[in-house]
Amino acid sequence: MADVEGLSHSAICVHDLREAEDFYCNVLGARLGNRVNFKTDDAIRGRSVHGSVILEDYLLALMVPRDFMPMPADDEHRGAHGFRHAFRVPRERFGEIVSSLRTHGVGFAGPTDHPEKSPFGQSIYFKDPSGNFLEILWRRDENVDFRKPYITGVG
Amino acid sequence: MDGISHLVIEVSDLKRSEEFYHDILGFELLGQDQIPNCGRNSVLGCASGQWLILSESAEPRSLAETGVHQAYGMLPSDREGVAKKLAERSIVVHRYKEDRPAEEGDNFYFHDPDGNRIQSVTGKTVSDPRHGVLGIDHAAMECHDLEWAEDFYVRVLGLTVEHRVGWRTEDYVRAKLWGDGKANMAPGTRRWDQRYTVMEQKRLLPRPNTQLYVQFGDSTLGIYLATKHRQEPPERQIVGTPRIGLRCGRAAFHRLVKVLAENHAPLQGPVEHPLTTPIAASLYVKDPGANFLEICVSK
Repeated sequence: MADVEGLSHSAICVHDLREAEDFYCNVLGARLGNRVNFKTDDAIRGRSVHGSVILEDYLLALMVPRDFMPMPADDEHRGAHGFRHAFRVPRERFGEIVSSLRTHGVGFAGPTDHPEKSPFGQSIYFKDPSGNFLEILWRRDENVDFRKPYITGVG
Repeated sequence: MDGISHLVIEVSDLKRSEEFYHDILGFELLGQDQIPNCGRNSVLGCASGQWLILSESAEPRSLAETGVHQAYGMLPSDREGVAKKLAERSIVVHRYKEDRPAEEGDNFYFHDPDGNRIQSVTGKTVSDPRHGVLGIDHAAMECHDLEWAEDFYVRVLGLTVEHRVGWRTEDYVRAKLWGDGKANMAPGTRRWDQRYTVMEQKRLLPRPNTQLYVQFGDSTLGIYLATKHRQEPPERQIVGTPRIGLRCGRAAFHRLVKVLAENHAPLQGPVEHPLTTPIAASLYVKDPGANFLEICVSK
């Protein structure tokens, strides 16, 4: 058995690395990680083309694919097959996030109320410029102290 | 900054290259050793007042296999005359394409006797059009770190980004066309990358070579990612050839002296030149790729 000890990172494909960086940093408040393929050594070693952004304690790698991915419809916000990344904010800031998405002209679905018994409170669903599905929510269990990993370095 | 003031390129035979640039491109011979710190040199002029300086070197660094090149503006009608002269000398004209949208249709390239790649682009019309080169439109160089280069040229020198290559899927889609033999791309714009992971079984992938274009005034500088490690000039050497001269006014010059020093750029000067020199003052600096630059105030 693998007995993995935690999540390291996930990777999504974006059509325009700079546009994606702007979106994750300016709209979602991420900080910039490393980029690969802008140095001679990367080219010589045939590395993949990617950047990364760090959302609090989450490392999201942004890969640049060799071909265009099929884009979801403009009004589709929840994910064609349910796949999405969901990030949490404290309940008192949730309204602020909704306004921020409006200000940046990001289309969204919601906010949706989750059932009382669910650990989730409310969610809002939207996409990044390359059609990757995202969700922001507040959780009813936000005051529970889960052990948080922190990023020490990026690749 | 106002634009490119001069380009210094290396040639092995001054007389031969003077004749080449004068006869084929219509440059005016302005004399020898007019500009300081170019070794034994010959200065050529054109309608815009910019200079092309040929600096004599036993082994000229033309970097012909890379994206390095010099682009001169010309009236499209004059380009035909140039094509004829090149044909008479059996010099091949290459119809490469590059990635920069502004160069769409300017695919006319050839090499000087030392391998310096010359591109003829559609020049901006001037009030006194002579036949031949109207001005220096852009020049390209290599750098081993494009993020550092962008920081230097944009944040420190204050130039604006005109175009980037290698950040978007569409660049990779176009590179695949090249990989399939369907596009004639200029050297330095594309690469075959060998994937290093065992899973990919060392597959070769056609990719765009990462590029950055920065603009200032009417001029553009192209910075290509170096695909090989090349010997840099010695650390202590700040003045050398080949070199690109960037022109600015006095006030900007003083500000740049300060900004470059604050950012720990390798500097020499500022130097006030003798009154007989066409340049009033110069600050010599190396960019992150160890390319020689000269920031100058013209008279």
